Amino acid sequence: MSLIGRNIVRALMQGSQHVSKGVHTSAVNADQNVCFAPAGISTLQPNATKEGRIKCTLIPGDGVGPEMVYSVQEVFKAANIPVDFESFFFSEVNPTLSAPLEDVVNSIARNKICIKGILATPDFSHTGELQTLNMKLRNALDLYANVVHVKSLPNVKCRHNDVDCIIIREQTEGEYSALEHESVPGVVECLKIITAAKSERIAKFAFDYAVKMGRKKVTAVHKANIMKLGDGLFLRSCEEMAKLYPRIQFEKMIVDNCTMQMVSNPNQFDVMVTPNLYGNIVDNLASGLVGGAGVVAGASYSPECAVFEQGARHIFSGAVGKNIANPTAMLLCSANLLAHVNLHSYSKMIKNAINKVLTDGKVRTKDLGGQSTTKDFTYAVIQSLA
Amino acid sequence: MAVRLFSKLKVLPEFRNVSFASSAAAPATLSDFDLQHKTPVIRKQKLIPKAHYGGRHAVTMLPGGGIGPECMGYVRDIFKYIGAPVDFEVVDIDPTMDNDDDVQYAITTIKRNGVGLKGNIETKSEAAYVTSRNVALRNELDMYAYILNCKSFPGVPTRHKDIDVVIIRQNTEGEYAMLEHESVNGVIESMKVVTASNSERVARFAFEFAKRNGRKKVTTVHKANIMKLSDGLFLETSRRMAKEYPDIEHNDMIIDNCCMQLVAKPHQFDVMLMTNLYGSIVSNVVCGLLGGAGLLSGRNYGDHYAVFEPGTRNTGTAIAGKNIANPVAMINASIDMLEHLGHFFHADLLKRAVYKTINEDRILTPDVGGTATSTEVVNAIIGNIGL
Repeated sequence: MSLIGRNIVRALMQGSQHVSKGVHTSAVNADQNVCFAPAGISTLQPNATKEGRIKCTLIPGDGVGPEMVYSVQEVFKAANIPVDFESFFFSEVNPTLSAPLEDVVNSIARNKICIKGILATPDFSHTGELQTLNMKLRNALDLYANVVHVKSLPNVKCRHNDVDCIIIREQTEGEYSALEHESVPGVVECLKIITAAKSERIAKFAFDYAVKMGRKKVTAVHKANIMKLGDGLFLRSCEEMAKLYPRIQFEKMIVDNCTMQMVSNPNQFDVMVTPNLYGNIVDNLASGLVGGAGVVAGASYSPECAVFEQGARHIFSGAVGKNIANPTAMLLCSANLLAHVNLHSYSKMIKNAINKVLTDGKVRTKDLGGQSTTKDFTYAVIQSLA
Repeated sequence: MAVRLFSKLKVLPEFRNVSFASSAAAPATLSDFDLQHKTPVIRKQKLIPKAHYGGRHAVTMLPGGGIGPECMGYVRDIFKYIGAPVDFEVVDIDPTMDNDDDVQYAITTIKRNGVGLKGNIETKSEAAYVTSRNVALRNELDMYAYILNCKSFPGVPTRHKDIDVVIIRQNTEGEYAMLEHESVNGVIESMKVVTASNSERVARFAFEFAKRNGRKKVTTVHKANIMKLSDGLFLETSRRMAKEYPDIEHNDMIIDNCCMQLVAKPHQFDVMLMTNLYGSIVSNVVCGLLGGAGLLSGRNYGDHYAVFEPGTRNTGTAIAGKNIANPVAMINASIDMLEHLGHFFHADLLKRAVYKTINEDRILTPDVGGTATSTEVVNAIIGNIGL
């Protein structure tokens, strides 16, 4: 009995959501004619099509990626956002179905923007290939800078409030060089590569990003007390760059201390710049502070392209098909993408909608302590679009 | 040397013959900005990674004094409207300050961004040790060449039609060496410094510019009959350089005669090459011929950096805040900047809109014979974008 009752309630709820969604969508369109008609020009992009729509590469990824991406597409459709997706199935765990790397790379290079779910990376290699697909993609496009903006969200209960830091990670060298070999049986060497050029480049990126976002401080995270040469070079490059930014405070912190400070006193951090592996760890740690992988957006930049992806990269394979994953991170990614291509009004619209849903707190996915589904959340966001 | 860098692009001569940043026609994807940040150069200077992220460039904006801030506001409105992938880093310089902190900071930001867009910066302090901020900026960044494209706007009523002159000016030495002293009471000596190396690179720059833009003639402007050694060196250097470019006609003209010829028969000139002070005078003369200070934009080039500004370096303090300043000069400067950065799509959009507004719709500010306010002009340009 109780089962039937629950089903009926659910059916009713979904029905009501659909109706209200329909109503609201048209309302959004009506609004758009008023406030966005002149801003229709915002689609003046080199990669825009004739009708003024922007093309964006879409990689759903593995695990819950396709569900998250679907959520983004639903929101874009409801808000009537002039973005067309060029979708590629791209996967390392399913190599037979995966689109060739060149196709994906060409598409991103052409469109300049991409939204990407998480790619699963197996921790063994059948072929002896050491580079993961993610790494290949990054190297092919030279996506050297990964930016994760970790910010406390309204009404997401965590141990710390008002965390607001930007973690910038070099992601084309360092420990991720894919240069490993067994010199003698039982002895494996992994080469960590640090170059001055790439260290300076990421340091400059971090400072320029701080300038652009109006930030005050940049912290370089390193382990130069142990890896005196490798991390030493990274640190020196950062110090060198800091001289060009006299109005931004520069400090350095050893990675172990940094992780401790991060969990005990995260508010002290502003912008952080890290080599590859430390960045990966700090990204995940910081994401955990504000609500987990489902709520933190990130982006990777090359000089020419920007790929928007979740800040903490977990495929959440346990939730595949269960309709329980949190699409907030991906929706925030899509909002950042819109801001990047100068569609600021749409970007704000999505961000405000997410904030509203979170603040109301009625629709929460499991990771935030609620019982709502991915779709419930998506529709709640759509209803809040204004 | 910037000339050498830029010359690596193959450019169709008939294309964009008014533009220095002519790599639009080049099949290569490298913009002038890319080239400046790629090629090793003669002056030993540590190359800073370029500020180009996800297709967007960071650019230093120095609003300066007078009408600068309002014009920059217009530029930002337009850039927002066309969605130009440029992020401005605004640095305000307090003109009344007696120290150079702000200027030094501005120079640092241009060094790390590589590109700047500036209004005219005032130097209000009369203290002898406070140098002109504009000069300090050019010297410190070693921007030795200044280019002013002077092309008539058909829609602006002027005495001469169809003028098309390019002025290339040595930008860092000559009379602007800022070496003055009072040797005896009542006797002041001001040094004019001309060096072979600077004369040579600006001359090469001029000839290379002429060659790549399909120009026929280079005229060196000087006063070597009086200043036989200093201007003599400049003239001698350009004559020597002319031999390397046999396809381009070279002549020289004395500055006083040049000014007279300019106002009488301006069509005889093609590319003009001159030292610092003469450049300042001649560019103002030609700007006057074409319709005043509010239309043309100038470009400062060094080996590493480029700064774009309105063509005549006047602050326009008297008309600041009255909504009558001509915004076109600053907008043209921003177009130059977009071209330099390689954003030809947005540059062309804007260029066409400006052309249509001035020459077809004739929406002009009072300084060029119109009745429109600054904001009306800007709105007209915005309205013409994308048509």
